Amino acid sequence: MSERSVQPKNPVKVIIDGREIVAEAGHTLLQVALDNGIEIPHYCYHPKLSIDGSCRMCQVKIQRVPKLAISCNTPVTDGMVVDTQSAEVAEARRGVMELLLINHPLDCPICDKAGECYLQDYSFGYGRQHARTTSPRRKGLKRHPIGPRVVFDEERCILCRRCVRFTQEISKTGELGVLGIGDRSHIGTAPDRPLDNAYSVCTADICPVGALLSADFHHKRRVWFLEEVESVCPGCANGCNVKLGMFRNEIQRLVPRRNDAVNDTWMCDHGRLNYHFAQDETRVRVPRVDGVTPERGNGSRPAIDAAAAVEEVARRIRGAIDTHGAGAVALIGSAHLTNEECYRLVGLRDAIGTPHLDLVVPLGDTDDFLIKAEKAANARGARDVGVQPGAGGKAAADILAACAAGEIKVLYVVGSADLLAVHGEESVLRALAEVETVIAQDANRSALTDRADIVLPGLTWAEKDGSFTNHAGRVQRIRQAMTPPEGALTDGEVFVRVAAWVQDGTAPAAFDVRATLAEIAMTLPAYRDVTLDGLGSHGLEQRTTTGPQIVTPGG
Amino acid sequence: MASRVVKVDRAGVQKATGPLAIRALAKGLAVTNRHFFRNLFGWLRGKPTVATVMFPEEDVKKPPAFRGMPVLVQMENGKERCVACGLCEWACPVDCILIEPAETDDAIERYPKVFDIDMGRCMYCGLCEEACPEEAIVMSDRVEISAFSREAILWHKENLLIPVDRLPQRLDYIRLGYGRR
Repeated sequence: MSERSVQPKNPVKVIIDGREIVAEAGHTLLQVALDNGIEIPHYCYHPKLSIDGSCRMCQVKIQRVPKLAISCNTPVTDGMVVDTQSAEVAEARRGVMELLLINHPLDCPICDKAGECYLQDYSFGYGRQHARTTSPRRKGLKRHPIGPRVVFDEERCILCRRCVRFTQEISKTGELGVLGIGDRSHIGTAPDRPLDNAYSVCTADICPVGALLSADFHHKRRVWFLEEVESVCPGCANGCNVKLGMFRNEIQRLVPRRNDAVNDTWMCDHGRLNYHFAQDETRVRVPRVDGVTPERGNGSRPAIDAAAAVEEVARRIRGAIDTHGAGAVALIGSAHLTNEECYRLVGLRDAIGTPHLDLVVPLGDTDDFLIKAEKAANARGARDVGVQPGAGGKAAADILAACAAGEIKVLYVVGSADLLAVHGEESVLRALAEVETVIAQDANRSALTDRADIVLPGLTWAEKDGSFTNHAGRVQRIRQAMTPPEGALTDGEVFVRVAAWVQDGTAPAAFDVRATLAEIAMTLPAYRDVTLDGLGSHGLEQRTTTGPQIVTPGG
Repeated sequence: MASRVVKVDRAGVQKATGPLAIRALAKGLAVTNRHFFRNLFGWLRGKPTVATVMFPEEDVKKPPAFRGMPVLVQMENGKERCVACGLCEWACPVDCILIEPAETDDAIERYPKVFDIDMGRCMYCGLCEEACPEEAIVMSDRVEISAFSREAILWHKENLLIPVDRLPQRLDYIRLGYGRR
């Protein structure tokens, strides 16, 4: 729910169902009731859209008001006494439900909304069991592609106009409208203007029935089988709060989660559909060292597992340091790593002793609403914990130039696709031709992982716990939703192990997300109050004022 | 831990069965013999009078209330009635049903690409039938699941489909039983 102000500026007292509630004057009755855990059924009201008052479902009895009033459009006033449970109200709701269901096709078995449908819920809660009409139901468009990412079913629509208001007020594109009058009114678009905007699938989220549906999720899975995991969208620096719908260890869909400080209740279509990479055939699932994988040895060399590959990485880095000095090793970090992993990557850089570490962040389209230019979730967090060139260190472009000049002997790239996208596939591969050992750690295959001498499987954001820091400095929790490929190490574990092997050849300590974040909190003043469990569902605003710096023993 | 201990009246049982259980044995043999002779004379007279059925060559006719294996109803056009809504999968207490939904161009929009029932696990409770909104899965009169491997008792859609005209009695019965109109 929304973060309610604790102290109303202009308080009024209302009594809803015998409960005395102090509310802010001018707030609508429905919002006050919902905020206080009193359920009033509603269809057309949405907290982030203007008030329409068309569904008539939220009618309540207000004392000294002759007729029932719609609570969504009634501001609270002092001394208001409201009854949401009386027989009169129940009868009115039953009537509204009956009218809404007159033309509803009742094809719940094939409707994707079934299970999270308001019409279903309220029909069970407030409707009558059987229809009293025998006349045939109105026919309409079925499975109509109203836009490239949205499917429209006209028969199911109850004309609440949420989607119309969304396209007018939020996406500001106005594709949808109510066409026709009276009994023949229906939602539609102009013939040459399909529902195609950057936020179009949000209309499917806010549709209280199954009239607008996400084409990506269409007929894919029943919602009651989904296990929903709260996380953050990995698509851009905005860090929209999402829920991952998981089924049999696969992501079925992403839906936005309400967070008034970040994304209200919306998310962009690109972010919503940007999850297939976590489970498609381009995933790197096994390590590879000079063509040797866990399944296949190479002549004299036996097959290797992830731990052995990590050891080999450390051995190569150590060899380069011994013959050419620490400056011959360079690291390129990824903004897809969590804060904790980035911190351990910096730790690895310190263990090697090289100043060459940089972050590569792909840039893309931006708008004035949710879509941010940096197309990675944790660019700010990575920079915060120090994934940037140290004193005398080279930036990514200079690292590539040094590679081409033969100065860099070992290049360790985390998140290869971003490097290729930003610096161009051809020029990167040309620069890498001179490098003795290219180590690529990534979740998905790319031209760089094909070229690399050592490939380590990385994990996607859905497979790990941790925190992301969005563009505005809000630290948000991501949760593990999927089981990673068998035998794969988390990125943080890889960094910790390589660092330990490089430093003194000792057996490494394990990577612990909580302990790492506690370490970050001790080192960085901006993260002083941040703990993994303290982040909750909605994250924490980073501290902007610098408090007293706590110096940890040993730096 | 058992919360209630039942005392068995051993002396009483012994008295009823007689010494060395001879009385009980004689009682049982009397039943066997009665059926044997009735069978024999019936067969000699050319009209067997007893309930013995030469299974598996013959089978008994089961009443519509009989709950055998769940099967899928096949419509006249050869396709399944099932729309892969997943309610039977959800209702199944032993989790023996697996459905992979997919989209079809037909008016019903959805169909099960995969519909597997693990007959080794099914307990014939009939909850899938009760949950089904399309009358697409019904309990049949089939009871034989014997096979030589566990894979063979995982029944796929092809094995499960039964034409609708072979199931009218059961369909009528469930409409009556679940008060459907």
